Amino acid sequence: MSARLETEHAAQTRRLELRAVLNRQYVYLDRKWDIVFFVSAAFVIAAAGDLTRSLFAGDWDFWVDWKDRQWWPMVTPFATIIIPSAIQYIAWVGFRLPLGATYTALCLFAAAWIARVYQWEAFVSYPFTLIWPASVVPAAVLVDWILLKTRSFILTSILGGIIWTFAFWISNYVSLAPYLQPSMFMGHMLSVADVLGIQYLRSQTPEYLRLVESGTLRSFLGETQYVALAFGSTVAVGGYWIGQAIGRWLAIWPIGRSIKGL
Amino acid sequence: MAVWSVIVAAARTRDRFAVTDWRGDGWRVWILSCLGFTVLFVGLSVYMHAFAWSAGLDATSPEFSVYWRSLLLIELVGVTVGTFAWWTWLVRSGRALPATVAFDEEVRRIMVVWGLLGATCVVLYFMASFFVSGDAAWHQTAVRDTAFTPPHIVMFYCAFPLGITMTVGTYLYGVTRLPRVYSMNAGFPWSFFLLIGASVTEMLQVAVNEWGHSLWIAEEVFAAPLHWPFVIYVWLAAGTFAVWLETLIRVLSIEKQIADQRTQAPQA
Repeated sequence: MSARLETEHAAQTRRLELRAVLNRQYVYLDRKWDIVFFVSAAFVIAAAGDLTRSLFAGDWDFWVDWKDRQWWPMVTPFATIIIPSAIQYIAWVGFRLPLGATYTALCLFAAAWIARVYQWEAFVSYPFTLIWPASVVPAAVLVDWILLKTRSFILTSILGGIIWTFAFWISNYVSLAPYLQPSMFMGHMLSVADVLGIQYLRSQTPEYLRLVESGTLRSFLGETQYVALAFGSTVAVGGYWIGQAIGRWLAIWPIGRSIKGL
Repeated sequence: MAVWSVIVAAARTRDRFAVTDWRGDGWRVWILSCLGFTVLFVGLSVYMHAFAWSAGLDATSPEFSVYWRSLLLIELVGVTVGTFAWWTWLVRSGRALPATVAFDEEVRRIMVVWGLLGATCVVLYFMASFFVSGDAAWHQTAVRDTAFTPPHIVMFYCAFPLGITMTVGTYLYGVTRLPRVYSMNAGFPWSFFLLIGASVTEMLQVAVNEWGHSLWIAEEVFAAPLHWPFVIYVWLAAGTFAVWLETLIRVLSIEKQIADQRTQAPQA
C-alpha cells in the first residue's frame, strides 16, 4: 500500500515538474540566428573534418590502391571520428541536438567531393575511379543514434567506436569491392586497384609505396580485414575521446572565460 | 537557438518578435563578407588551374616570374596593407563610439560579429580543405623545386594571412563595440585566444613544413608526421564555437532583461 502511494506521489511530482517546464516563460530567438549559425558552422566543420582526415589518413582516402585491408580500416576511422565526436559533444551539450556527427559527416562528404571534382579531377586529371573519397555518413547516423538512446558519452565512445569502424568498412566496401578483383599485370597477380595505382603516375609519391598492402597481416589470409577492423575499433574509441577533448576544452570550457594579466 | 520541441513550440506562440529579431543590416555583413571571400578564392583557384601547368612548373623560368612571383607580390602587399587599414579603422572608429550601448544596437553588433565569424569560417574552409586538396594533388604529381609553388602562392601567402586578418579583426570589433562581452578590463577572452592562435599557428607551421621538405622529405606522403602539426590549428578553431555561444548567452541575457523590464513596468 505504502509503495503504491509513493509511486503515485512520484508520478504526480513528475507531472507537476513537466507542467512547470511547459508553462515557463521561454525566451524565443528568431530562426535567423539558426540559419547564420548552421550555414557558417558548416564551413568550419568541413575545414576541420577534412584537414584532420587529410593529414592523418589522407593518402588512404585519396587513392583507391591505398584502400587496403590492413591500414585503411584502422587509420581512416580513427582520423574521421575525431571531429564528428567534437561536434557531437557541442551539439548535444549546447543545443540538445543528437545530430552533431551526422552534420559533420555531411559537411565532410560535401567538402571531399568538391575537392575531388575540382582539384583532383579538373586540376590534375586523375579519374574518379582512382580518387573517390570514402563516406562516413552511415557510420555517423548510427553513432548519433547511440548517443540519443544511451545519453552517455562513455557508452557512445565504446559502442560508437566499434560501430563507426565496422559501418565505415561495410558502407564503403560496396564501392571498393570491384577494385579488389584479381588481375594479371606484367606476369604478376595484382588487384585492379594496384594496377590503377601503377598506371597513373604519381611522380612525387614514393615508388616503394606502389603496392600498399604488403605487410605481415597476410599471414591471416582471408581474415586480415577482420583483425584490422578489430584493432581499428579500439583506435577509433581513442579518436572519439580526442574529439571529446576538443569539444570540451577548446569549444565549451572557454565560454565566458578570460586570461587575466596578459 | 530555436530548438524543435513541444515546449518551444508552445513558447513560440507567445512573444514572437523581440529585440533579438535583428533586421536588414546584420544580413549585409554576413552575406557580403562570405560572398566576397568566396569570389576571391574561387577566382584565385581558376587562375591557378589556368597557369599552374603552363607557367608554374619551373621556378627559374621567366614566365614563372610573370605569372606567379608577381601574384605573390600583389598578395603580400595587398593583404598587409588591407589588413592594417581595416584593423586601424576598427580601433579608431570603435574608440569614438559612446560607452553605453542600447540593447537593439548591441544585438545588431553581435550579429555583425556573427557575420565576421561566418566569413572567418569561409576563409578557414578554403585554407584547410579546398586549397589543401589542390596542394595535395599538385605535390603528389609535380616535382617540388621551390617553396613558392603555384598552390602555395594562393594558399600559404593569401588565404593563410587572411585567416589572421579575420580572427584578429573580429576580436578588435568585439573588444571595441561589445563592452559587456569583451571588455578590455575583463582580460583576454580564451575563445579569441584559441581562434587567433589557430590562425597564427598555421602560418608558423608553413615555415616548419617548408623546412622539413627542404631538409629530409622532398617526396609527398600526405599523412606523414611532418604534416601532423597542421591539424592543431583546425582543432584550435573550435574557439569559434565558444565565441558563438558566449555572444548567444549575451543575446539571451538581453532578451531576459527586456522581459523583466516589461513585467516590472506595469507594477511601477
